[in-house]
Amino acid sequence: MGVKLGKIKAAFLSGALALGAGTSASAEGMEFQTVTDLLHLVMSSDRTVYTRMIVNRLAVQEGVIKASEHFEDDKALVLPAQMFRFGSEMVAEETDAFSYSLLSLWPINKQNAPTTDMEKEGLEYIAANPGENFYGEEELGGTTYFTAVYPDVAVAEACWACHNDHKDSPKTDFEAGDVMGGVVIRIPMDS
Amino acid sequence: MKTRTLWIIWIAFTLVLAGGAFARLYLGGERTTFLPGETAGVHHQIELACETCHTSKPFAKQSKVRKDINKTCTTCHKEELKAANDSHPIKKFKNPRMAAYWDRIDARFCTSCHSEHQPEITLAGLVTLPGDFCVACHSEGEQDVRVNRPSHAGLEFDTCASAGCHNFHDNRALYEDFLVKHAGQPWLKDDPTHAGESMARARPRPALDEIETYLAKAAAPVAHRDAEVEVHWAASAHAAADVGCAGCHAPKMETEEEIEANWIDAPGEKVCASCHRAEMKTFAMGRHGMRRHPEIAKPRKAKSMLKRLGLKDPPDSAIAAIEAYLDDPSPAPLMSTAEARVPLHEDAHGLEVTCNTCHKPHEQDLTFASTGACLTCHSDDHSAAYEGSPHHALWTAELAGDLPPGSGVTCATCHMPKTVRKDTVTTNHNQNETLRPNEKMIRATCLECHSLEFSIDALADAELVKRNFAGKPDRHIQSMDWAVNRVDQPDEGANQ
Repeated sequence: MGVKLGKIKAAFLSGALALGAGTSASAEGMEFQTVTDLLHLVMSSDRTVYTRMIVNRLAVQEGVIKASEHFEDDKALVLPAQMFRFGSEMVAEETDAFSYSLLSLWPINKQNAPTTDMEKEGLEYIAANPGENFYGEEELGGTTYFTAVYPDVAVAEACWACHNDHKDSPKTDFEAGDVMGGVVIRIPMDS
Repeated sequence: MKTRTLWIIWIAFTLVLAGGAFARLYLGGERTTFLPGETAGVHHQIELACETCHTSKPFAKQSKVRKDINKTCTTCHKEELKAANDSHPIKKFKNPRMAAYWDRIDARFCTSCHSEHQPEITLAGLVTLPGDFCVACHSEGEQDVRVNRPSHAGLEFDTCASAGCHNFHDNRALYEDFLVKHAGQPWLKDDPTHAGESMARARPRPALDEIETYLAKAAAPVAHRDAEVEVHWAASAHAAADVGCAGCHAPKMETEEEIEANWIDAPGEKVCASCHRAEMKTFAMGRHGMRRHPEIAKPRKAKSMLKRLGLKDPPDSAIAAIEAYLDDPSPAPLMSTAEARVPLHEDAHGLEVTCNTCHKPHEQDLTFASTGACLTCHSDDHSAAYEGSPHHALWTAELAGDLPPGSGVTCATCHMPKTVRKDTVTTNHNQNETLRPNEKMIRATCLECHSLEFSIDALADAELVKRNFAGKPDRHIQSMDWAVNRVDQPDEGANQ
């Protein structure tokens, strides 16, 4: 998909992304898509590591601890989707320079269903075109955003087993490698 | 008189008046003039310390003002919201994907729902939106609760947060899986005791010979010795913890001469706080002690205001005159019953609330601290009905030795609940944490003895609360039945 490119003054991102001896100069001129691609790479790597090496290993394979939405009351592991959301909320508390969320056309938690037209379009696109990303621009609350949508794929049994069994899941036939939802990253283009 | 003379007199008079007003407002710090409307609840205790909440610079943009006010709200309410596992935290609404919701209720800002100085439209919990506010976001699309929950199909939105089923922030005891997990339990447990209270009250009191030993160790300058006080002290936890007379009356002094020279007859609460830090911290967050909160704006000092006007070395006489003749209406450091806006006994008028208002300084009197002190002042229906209530009967029976420690329910059991962490019992002196909405009390206290179902029903019955729980709830809240009907696999997670 064609990408509208822009310039971003994102000096802080150079540090966050550990782009070598990052300075504002090296971040200057980076394309929106490159920034979101790199951000997504970090997010999806951490997410996969947590899902496979913590939740799937301890809760599914070894069965030594449960993973639960009510992790505090149940003295359990945080669900991978919560792990991701807590991170994105922490980012939201720190900066408006970018935002991200984990959404799905088949969300267990209804607040993770698409709320904008572009989210819906993006999620439908990545579900129909496995392996591809979706990029676009949208205006929300008077600000124009560069919006990127990346497929979120079932990487471990913990993913599909929980979603297929959950009473609030609208889809119960997920399999390994399926696109279960998408990571949406936004960067405001006006600043 | 000539017109010209009249003009001069008029102008001079106006200037003098204007100067006086300016000095009163700017130098003296008089604030009542600026109060746009009464504040809600306990905020009246700090309403004249304007800068506590209004921290933005003059002429700041509205968006900046709202962000700044958010920060000041969380100065006091942050811990509470965190502990509540806030269902609608601000961070959840900051993502631009929520932009469509910002136009309905902008939940990024506390003031969207809690707008101060508007007594005419303020509901319980300082809510300044109509009571059916849930309708704004939960009545259409994916969030339409009447579609997601068939049991809710015929419900209006004015009962979501008022019937005992949901709260906007704190749903710790009300979320679906919690309801299911606690369903089908008897209204009273087999062993109805409060764990924290039980641990605190089961502490062994010193034996007679120990008291004798402590008494022999009591040391104070002769002029300050008092046999009765010493006996009370020797039987208290202070003696057992090796906190002697000088520990409070002459802190940090070592030699007899130093102690005598620095003796304080009535040590202030700072002395208490030097050891009882956790209690003092929660006290300063609660309704009795909030004026001590470190973030409450300090009164304006005439000297520094004069300096700000460019007077480098203002004469003492000017400062003294300003302080003498211009009111300083900033809140007094201690809350007094004279200022209270809740029903109190007439003869409690003028009492200040500090540590030894409730805790006798020498005598360790649990009954007074946990019920007597409260009932000395509070005279609302709920308080007045305590003596003679079932909870009071349990306390009386415990005191008589007929029931195990922790069985009796005092005012403090529910309003200043004890928590146990790493074998240490702490009393939460912030009664706001379990007060309103009253479902906040369920996990901290009610569930120690009662079932969740009974607790929800009882707290939703306002008349029963007034009678201090004499009798049974006159209603049944259906939330638990609906949750059980919908969830047949309690081990599974569900939306909170």
